[in-house]
Amino acid sequence: MTSDSKKELGVGIFFLALSVAYMLGTLNISTFTPFGNRGLDSRSVPQLIGFLVFVLSSVHVIQVLLQVKKSKKNSVEPVAGNKDQVCDTDEVICIESPKGSIIARIDTVVPLKLILSLLYLVIYVAAYQGIGFIISSTFFLMAESFLLVKREERKRWTVFIILFSIGASVFIYFIFTKYLSLFLPSGILG
Amino acid sequence: MLEMLISGFASVFTDPTGIIMILFGVTIGIIFGALPGLTTVAGLSMFLPVTYVMASNIGLSMLTAIYIGGISGGLISAILLNIPGTPASIATCFDGAPMAKKGQAGKALGLGVFGSLIGTIIGVLVMVVLSPTLAIFTLKFGPWEYFSVTFFALTLISTLTGKSVVKGLLSALFGMMVATIGLSPIDSAKRYTFGSLQLTSGFHLLIVLVGLYAISEVLSTAAAKQEQVKVLDYTMKGLGFTRKDLKGNWVNLIRSSLIGLGIGILPGIGGSTSNIIAYSVAKNSSKHPEKFGTGIADGLLASEASNNASVGGAMIPLLTLGIPGDGATAILLGGFMLHGMQPGPLLFQTNGDTVYHIFASMILGTFFMAILMWAGMRMFVKILKVPTHILIPLIVVLCSIGAYALSNRVFDMWGLILFGILGLAMSKFKIPVPPFILGFILEGALETNLRRGLEYSNGNVMDVFTRPISAVFLILTVLSLGSTIIKQIRHSAKAAAKGEQS
Repeated sequence: MTSDSKKELGVGIFFLALSVAYMLGTLNISTFTPFGNRGLDSRSVPQLIGFLVFVLSSVHVIQVLLQVKKSKKNSVEPVAGNKDQVCDTDEVICIESPKGSIIARIDTVVPLKLILSLLYLVIYVAAYQGIGFIISSTFFLMAESFLLVKREERKRWTVFIILFSIGASVFIYFIFTKYLSLFLPSGILG
Repeated sequence: MLEMLISGFASVFTDPTGIIMILFGVTIGIIFGALPGLTTVAGLSMFLPVTYVMASNIGLSMLTAIYIGGISGGLISAILLNIPGTPASIATCFDGAPMAKKGQAGKALGLGVFGSLIGTIIGVLVMVVLSPTLAIFTLKFGPWEYFSVTFFALTLISTLTGKSVVKGLLSALFGMMVATIGLSPIDSAKRYTFGSLQLTSGFHLLIVLVGLYAISEVLSTAAAKQEQVKVLDYTMKGLGFTRKDLKGNWVNLIRSSLIGLGIGILPGIGGSTSNIIAYSVAKNSSKHPEKFGTGIADGLLASEASNNASVGGAMIPLLTLGIPGDGATAILLGGFMLHGMQPGPLLFQTNGDTVYHIFASMILGTFFMAILMWAGMRMFVKILKVPTHILIPLIVVLCSIGAYALSNRVFDMWGLILFGILGLAMSKFKIPVPPFILGFILEGALETNLRRGLEYSNGNVMDVFTRPISAVFLILTVLSLGSTIIKQIRHSAKAAAKGEQS
């Protein structure tokens, strides 16, 4: 099975599971029909959506399995003596499995910068209310900028990034709170 | 209508702050359009919180100005870097970049701006004429008509975006699932709140939009390899081109604008598709198709006129039916709602003055866009060199302010991350995002009108087929779904036959 087929199968199974959980969830929805049952209640549309997702995801899974069955007929055995290499006649390309460190392997599936960006974002949001906008934003801007700048250019940008992060956070805070009348948490500086 | 438009212009010209905001919006839009990896939607998301405290007409005019600038700005990087600044300027690269390589970058930029100007003017003018007429027509709609038209829009977007109809439909239904979180329409029953007070009001449209479009976009840009871009040199005297360069291209300009307009009206596809279709049509109807791709004005003008005309096109269903034509108009829908307005047929009656103010400001913004690009090209080209490691974190911070300021709660910021991750996952698994967005936006209208329709007709579902307007939209739904399914079956049969032969 190619990686594309695996992905598609995963999509189908995800939606199948989601539809079942979603339909079970409709049982907890209270209904209210004071004028008699002339139409639909608050449970009906979710039930309909869940049913349609179930049918369509089943169709998707069947389509993928049929495709896999077809491509198996035409497939070629993997090159002998090289377990890491997989050939697929559908795509006529050979994919070498990633070698090297664990980090390099993770990086090919989900880029490390993406994982760290998400982590910084989670920390930023968690600290937002508690320590306030200015401090949390300064640290987030600094951390994210240092993460994204090229390693060989990091030294050159250090002073600028630090000053920019502090300056931008303070400037944005005052513009939004004083001139645009929005509330932003002041946190420990408050 | 003309009187209203004149009063719209009067209200724009008597408010210097409004004019400054239009100018500011267009500038921001051009910058976001020009920077590869960042789109108009990111620009709109970033500057949406700035409009929270503005008067509705000024705030919405600024947002539409960002939209106009954003679609046009893409041509700068398409020509000078051979990288489309936005998906709407992919076809601009085909002839714009070869022209720049031949040493005619100034001429290419000038022609691109001119094509953008003509396209936007045609799109906006048709929008001004058509929207009020359509709004009057849609006033006749009852619940069944609304149900059918929203159902049609949902199936159309699911069939037009992505390669698989099934995945398109699943995406739309997934969006509808998320929209059912909170209180149900009509009887306010709690659905999928899991005892959480925060979930009772469901997810705000802007959280879903900014998360799916802007946050996932900046995260994927952050993850992409940062390449040093090489900007080509250019010289631009006057407008950059002569009258001779436009010879024989007026029909091309008008035809491409009309293509852009028509495609812009269809939900979900907009400028990103229209530029490629207009380019292909221009090539097929040209006397010298072999010259396309070598750096000729025809292709460049076709692409830029069509993507800009889509702006006016996408605004038509938004203003008359409350159905956004693309991602940017979905953000604009959120902007309207934030300012207490609900786009749809009643908008022209309840907020006519604001609508005509927006129309007038869009016309003014179009000219600002052309003047700014012709006069300030050097500044915009310099901005192409601003590193992404400075821009991306800043966009995230500003989007977070927008999320937090909606209800002063961190919960919405968590929502932003959740939908950002969802957007990334959807792109990884090739699930189209536009149907999800439209499903999320339209679920409420679809459910309310279905339930109302059934109550009016005492539970008789046949009414939806017997009412003429509703029946027409249902027939269109069947036709669009049927034709796409047949096309896909033929395509896979062809692919299978090819596989057996080889």
